[in-house]
Amino acid sequence: MPDQVQDLLLDETTYVPPVRKADWLMRIGVSIVTLVIFLALFGPYIGPYDPTRTTIRIAVPPPGLTEIPGLLAGWIGGTLEYPPHWMGTDANGYDIFSRVIAAPRTDLKIALLANILSLITGVFFGLVAGYWRNWGTELLIRVSDVLQSFPVFIMAMVLVALAGRSATNIIIALAFVYTPIYLRLTRAEVLGQTSRGFVEAARAMGNSELSIALRHVLPNSLTPALIQSSVTIGFAILLTAGLSFVGAGVRPPTPEWGLMISTGANQIVLGEWWPSVFPGLAISLTVFGFAVLGNALERRYERG
Amino acid sequence: MLLRYITRRMLIGVIQLFCLVIAVFFLIRLLPADPVSRLVGLNSSPEGYEQAARQLGLDRPLFEQLWIYLGLSPDIAPGLLQGSLGVSWASGSTVGSEIATFLPVTLQLITLAFILAFIISIPVGMLGALNPGKAADKGVFVYSLFAGSQPEFWWGLLFVYVFYFQLGVAPAPLGQLSPMTFPPEPVTGFMLIDTLIAGEPAKFFEALHHLMMPVITLAFILSGPIIKMVRQNMLRALQSDFVLYANLIGLPRKRVARYALRAAMGPSMTLIGILYGFMLSGAVLVESVFSLGGIGQYAIRSVLAFDYPAIQGVVLVITAISLVVYLLLDLIHAAIDPRIAY
Repeated sequence: MPDQVQDLLLDETTYVPPVRKADWLMRIGVSIVTLVIFLALFGPYIGPYDPTRTTIRIAVPPPGLTEIPGLLAGWIGGTLEYPPHWMGTDANGYDIFSRVIAAPRTDLKIALLANILSLITGVFFGLVAGYWRNWGTELLIRVSDVLQSFPVFIMAMVLVALAGRSATNIIIALAFVYTPIYLRLTRAEVLGQTSRGFVEAARAMGNSELSIALRHVLPNSLTPALIQSSVTIGFAILLTAGLSFVGAGVRPPTPEWGLMISTGANQIVLGEWWPSVFPGLAISLTVFGFAVLGNALERRYERG
Repeated sequence: MLLRYITRRMLIGVIQLFCLVIAVFFLIRLLPADPVSRLVGLNSSPEGYEQAARQLGLDRPLFEQLWIYLGLSPDIAPGLLQGSLGVSWASGSTVGSEIATFLPVTLQLITLAFILAFIISIPVGMLGALNPGKAADKGVFVYSLFAGSQPEFWWGLLFVYVFYFQLGVAPAPLGQLSPMTFPPEPVTGFMLIDTLIAGEPAKFFEALHHLMMPVITLAFILSGPIIKMVRQNMLRALQSDFVLYANLIGLPRKRVARYALRAAMGPSMTLIGILYGFMLSGAVLVESVFSLGGIGQYAIRSVLAFDYPAIQGVVLVITAISLVVYLLLDLIHAAIDPRIAY
């Protein structure tokens, strides 16, 4: 969903926490996110097959539920000809399971780096625009408003397709579309801080404006942006996958969930569900995990 | 007063659109893409390459290109000031006429999806708000969090697998009508309306049948944020004094809920507007799963073909519509909520 919507929902002053004691929900979110981080670190190495190499077995369906115990026993006992394809293979012969667990390396890396990049630039410009108010910073806000009125998906697609389909360009494109969100969030927070007593006190102590902005206002204005990041990482994963799905994302054979869904999309009308269903399930759970975590943080740090 | 407000908003909108046009114009030209070789191929002779560049106007200086696009030198080619979005490099027809055929598809799709999402979200959101903290509320909350964070293209494919391949109740995802059906004469561009104008109810129901799956997919995704919003605005309305008073004088619970709902709808309008504007381009993935041929798919096609006039046209039109929708919904908000005056 668009982040302006997130903001609107975040900005509620009379916020009533829907689930007061929802620690189980947060635990689910934390587990999912931890698993995804683990896979991003080790996923490419622990799969039974090389995620970027095809096998000779094409479009093999995943084993049925009743076959799994036998396969597991054979796998552990070492009596199988080749490691089982737990999620089947796709039309090119790639082992889907190995690719699904290798993909967080691509997806999470893009989402995380794009988020860090936009967080840094957004917070920086937000601090500047909120603390020093003159025509220059006013112009900055107007430019950011124009950027934010771009249709997000199309803009990301334009940037990636015209600059070249590489992970780096996707990161830059996503950072570009997410920066205005952090700018606005931080600026709003800074505006609220500058009239507070501790800023006056710091000024009376003889601190320079720069040091007040960096050492006193900035640390007190970071919370909304940091909470927003968990939500934004989830949406960045969605956007990355969506870009691959329309052919404006990373190139094959990079293991990436959206690309895998797109590869399987043509076969699904013929009944070959597994090449798209498993990577989609992974996206679905991952983004939900980040949304849950973001929501839990939001509730925990909600003022008042 | 109202008229002055509308004029002011329109004026700001035009300035915003103007900045957007300039920004997009330079942005796509600064990126290291070569639309000429995309058009003539990598093996073309230098002469052929130059001729193509001349035809596209890319041999002119950047500012001259901008001037032509804005319509400040109408003797060379008509531009924005003359109401022309330019000519598509990929197809040779005018961008305006192409957008006019693709846009209604998207508008029809997302409008139906919003209506369906609303029909689902209002009772579900109210269920949550009327039982705060109870099991129903928790369920509603988790559902809205889940639905709002889902890859819609994957759900579309999943629905195709289940409802087309397994159950056979949905048509193949091959467009607005079956490929064997002769489409009616386009009058409005909206398939549902055109089939009725042509007096062909069979095709009307066929189009409706083909729209079923994409609309359900989008409505599912949309229901997430809309439920969250209905629930939150309802909760706030239920805490207000007039509800307290209505409860005190012993009005039936259902009636009080209805009053509160009315008060909750006003603030929801802003969010609906933003969501609608977002969906104009956000429906792109669902359009492409079901091959509907909407504005989003036109955008994909233009971007992958490096068709600059088409890209500029799509971004401009989508943003312009979003701004108009924001304005309309603010006016509706003012109409619902008499406390707001402009």
